[in-house]
Amino acid sequence: MSPGILEATVGSDGPRQKNKATPDTLRVGCIAMVEKDGQARRAEILSIKDTKSGRQFYCNFDNFNKRLDEWVPVKRINFEQDVEWPNPDKDKPKDGKNKQGATAQKKNLSKKIQKRPGKREQSVTSEAATPNHPWSEFVDSQPQSKAPSTPRDLESKAGQTPAAAGDEMDLDEDENTPDIKKEDDGFSREAEIEKLRTGGSMTQNPTELSRIRNISKVQFGKYDLFPWYFSPYPESFTQEDAISVCEFCLSYYADLKSFARHRQKCTLQHPPGNEIYRDDYVSFFEIDGRRQRTWCRNLCLLSKMFLDHKTLYYDVDPFLFYVMTQKTEKGQHLVGYFSKEKECADGYNVACILTMPQYQRKGFGRLLIQFSYELSKIEGKLGSPEKPLSDLGLLSYRQYWSENIIDLLVEYNERDERCTIESISTALAMTTQDVEHTLQALKMQVYHKGEHKVVLPEKMIQAREKARSKQKRYIAPERIQWKPPVFTASSRTWGW
Amino acid sequence: MSTRKPVRIRKLNTKTALQVLREDQIDRNEYDSLTTDAQIATGVESNEEQEIHLQAVLKGAGASTDNEIPVPPPQESDVSYDELYSTPYIEPRNYIRFSDTVEETLGSLYDMTTEDEEYLKTYNAKRASKLSDDDFERIMELFEMTASEQTPYAAVDNTIVPYEVMVQHMAHSPVVKLQTHTKQVYEYWKTRRQDNANKPLHPSLKFETHQEHDDLDPYVCFRRREVRQTRKTRARDVQIADKLKKLRRELEDGRQLVLLSHQREVLKKELLNTERFLFEHRAKLKERKVRLGIKADDEDLLYNTKPQKRKISEVQHPVRGAPHQRLSLPVPRESRAVEQDLVQLSDKQKEQYAEFFRDIESKAQHHRHWNNGHIDLTERPLSPVKEEQHQNFRPAKAVFLPTPPASASESMELDDEPVSTVMAPKRAPSPFVFNGADESESTPTYRRRVGRNGRLWIDRRHCRLASPPSDTETPPQSDQCKYDQDDSEDEQAVYHIDQYSTSAMRFRTTIPAPGHRYPRGHVADANAPAHPVAVSRPALPPVPAPAPPQPSNHAQPQPQPQPT
Ligand SMILES: [Zn+2]
Repeated sequence: MSPGILEATVGSDGPRQKNKATPDTLRVGCIAMVEKDGQARRAEILSIKDTKSGRQFYCNFDNFNKRLDEWVPVKRINFEQDVEWPNPDKDKPKDGKNKQGATAQKKNLSKKIQKRPGKREQSVTSEAATPNHPWSEFVDSQPQSKAPSTPRDLESKAGQTPAAAGDEMDLDEDENTPDIKKEDDGFSREAEIEKLRTGGSMTQNPTELSRIRNISKVQFGKYDLFPWYFSPYPESFTQEDAISVCEFCLSYYADLKSFARHRQKCTLQHPPGNEIYRDDYVSFFEIDGRRQRTWCRNLCLLSKMFLDHKTLYYDVDPFLFYVMTQKTEKGQHLVGYFSKEKECADGYNVACILTMPQYQRKGFGRLLIQFSYELSKIEGKLGSPEKPLSDLGLLSYRQYWSENIIDLLVEYNERDERCTIESISTALAMTTQDVEHTLQALKMQVYHKGEHKVVLPEKMIQAREKARSKQKRYIAPERIQWKPPVFTASSRTWGW
Repeated sequence: MSTRKPVRIRKLNTKTALQVLREDQIDRNEYDSLTTDAQIATGVESNEEQEIHLQAVLKGAGASTDNEIPVPPPQESDVSYDELYSTPYIEPRNYIRFSDTVEETLGSLYDMTTEDEEYLKTYNAKRASKLSDDDFERIMELFEMTASEQTPYAAVDNTIVPYEVMVQHMAHSPVVKLQTHTKQVYEYWKTRRQDNANKPLHPSLKFETHQEHDDLDPYVCFRRREVRQTRKTRARDVQIADKLKKLRRELEDGRQLVLLSHQREVLKKELLNTERFLFEHRAKLKERKVRLGIKADDEDLLYNTKPQKRKISEVQHPVRGAPHQRLSLPVPRESRAVEQDLVQLSDKQKEQYAEFFRDIESKAQHHRHWNNGHIDLTERPLSPVKEEQHQNFRPAKAVFLPTPPASASESMELDDEPVSTVMAPKRAPSPFVFNGADESESTPTYRRRVGRNGRLWIDRRHCRLASPPSDTETPPQSDQCKYDQDDSEDEQAVYHIDQYSTSAMRFRTTIPAPGHRYPRGHVADANAPAHPVAVSRPALPPVPAPAPPQPSNHAQPQPQPQPT
């Protein structure tokens, strides 16, 4: 899997029947060539709807993150080229041919099944014409400037990496076993199709629903946020142009009057927990998922829109939420947060981590990550984020790790001292595995004349100097007022 | 990407000390060729790892961070933010501590919708007494809360809480003051619920219903985590079976106990009846005897008072599991007849005491015999001390145990045990009890202590009343100084005492009666301070009193060689 060669991830479950299609015959599960940012890309059709301006197709682009999925009009689909049709042999796993599928573990496989169950019967042709499409209303109002067509998206800002985004919360196995079971039980596709045909209210089976962004716009504080992924807000919200979320208690509203009424009554101006850190830039609050169930659920619903792998399958009770805020004359505004298991068997110090989109690319992700490691230092433990990481999560962590490791190594180099992986790990409360991976990723670990050495690449040192001149902000550990919380055996046993 | 020669690389130990070099400190070519280029685990899902934008950034890692992952960007909202968020925030000086929940911070949990607003507008237009937004919400909240309590499955079974039930719930809430409006609002609420498929009016999340399709539904969220179940194993089954068996046994024991107690009480009753019968007949017999003038012995009345002794075990109570209760055997009974059958604890105790005192008596005899012929030559009695009775001094009224010659050396040991009065119960007159002076007044007290070089000291003291007959304070003072110097035998303190003064006489009366049991040479000197005692002889009145080793300045010590 060399990084240079990209493999198709869309529709890679085996050879498919190919021939020409028309806007009317194109259906869910098909793979077509769709124009994206001026280029033709392979895209899987995940949903279809009819709007006043014509038929639209929800496309997932090959080797693009799901957050770039979008509704496209007919004119962006190239009907000159052959369309790959969904395979009729639906229950036969065909991933063997795919390198990725072959190497995938059971977990990934099951995930794949969940994500790509779209091997539908050829006979389904009527669904595209369903009049009462659940998405129709909001899709109409979907701003044209959305994800794909935003020039800002692809603008590069030198010297900045995207801030943190999240990773999976937990329990992939548990989450996915039902999906496998579903396949085994012979999920009645025919019945589902029949239902679609008669009811016409659904274009997807339930698991496919979660592949499609269901909220189009979120009014949050001063900002309009455009969700990236599915989030299980009340189902009726999917029909709304926009929903409103209270900036402080994170309650969600579809009705504007309701929201306005709520705002008159809502007294929260900061996260409902104890402040454990404060400087002139940010504050941190510790929130117990068990105590603040509503608030934490609201936070999870909100963050799920920006975290693909987060699961809301289980309740928030076993987690603590460390919420970073920034103060204005209106209150402490949610900037980002990370969650942490009260008792983590695997020693993870972060379960989920997110910088709110309106605060991304400003270095807040690094503060969140630093804070998580500062807590680990106080606990006297080595920490690591739970896997899988998202793309943005990986980049943020890589950046934090490499900055800190290089800082340490430059000091070692200046003192002309040798260092061990372990000493780096202890100094930064990072697992030795993360230290090694970072060294390898930065190509700093070399084997020369029979011994391992660490080499500081020139460009790294330069980048460090440059970063230093920018006077980045850091968490001041001495300002943390926090003791590792202790939970009684009974609360662990019966609490969740 | 870079050409890599196959180099055998030892696995890196995390404890290995690594040299840290700058790129310019090593050979450029070597670095290029030796850099490991293995695929590194990223922790990102494998199918996402290949995403174009991520790969672009990863490739440029460490160099120019030109590449970014594109995301749908947020926009400034056109809402009137300052209106919605009107409360200014005042930050407290200290770190915030807060634990109220969202629900607790909100007044009413029902938020009026646009539809409600219209309804309320038309509703209020027709009325003189207006219903405010807040009150409307309060009423609606109550309806919603009651509905969710009373009809949790309303959406399924389509039941609607009747107005009467709502009224009952209103009684306990401030809504009761709004009763002029509630009926109309109820009707409105009902139609809204009906329009909404009888679901809660606020859009709600989908929670688990424990049905098959739950797992497939991506909208079902925040499931409860299953409580870990203890694994079923055979060992555990056996364990549980044993516990149950034990429980069964113990319950059976309890049942038996109750049964036997009942039997016992029945027997007791029988016994009482019999005895009463017996008593009455005897009374009749006696009466008849008197009437007939028979003056024989009354033995026939007592013919059964001394029946054969039954075994103790026979009369024991059937008390199980409490063997110690057998000691409290003699349960009070009215019947003397039965009592006489028993060996009484008091009898046993008496026997023991008798034996014990015989033993003591014989030892006392022995002691007297041993002391026979010794003459106590104490002549210069020390004046009694005026101070309060010291704790360490024991009143001489206590039992004077004989000093057994055989254990003489043992008696030298200081011990803190109090004098055992149990040995001399009041009933049994002890030969050693001092019956002299009134206890409350002038009880002479003694203590024994071991001084330097293991010398044994017997200190003696009188209490306050036994004040010396001296007329001044000086003699005691000089007396106190008496032993300040070693061996000041020559300078004996001289006390000038008027033999006929009343105080002196009274003092003398407090002196214990001489020579009780112990023959003494000088009876008049019996109350004199401790005497030098011959080595061959143990201290005369051996007071087994505990005494701290430190000498008290109130005491008049006198050296006494320790008998060996
Ligand atoms: Zn609020």
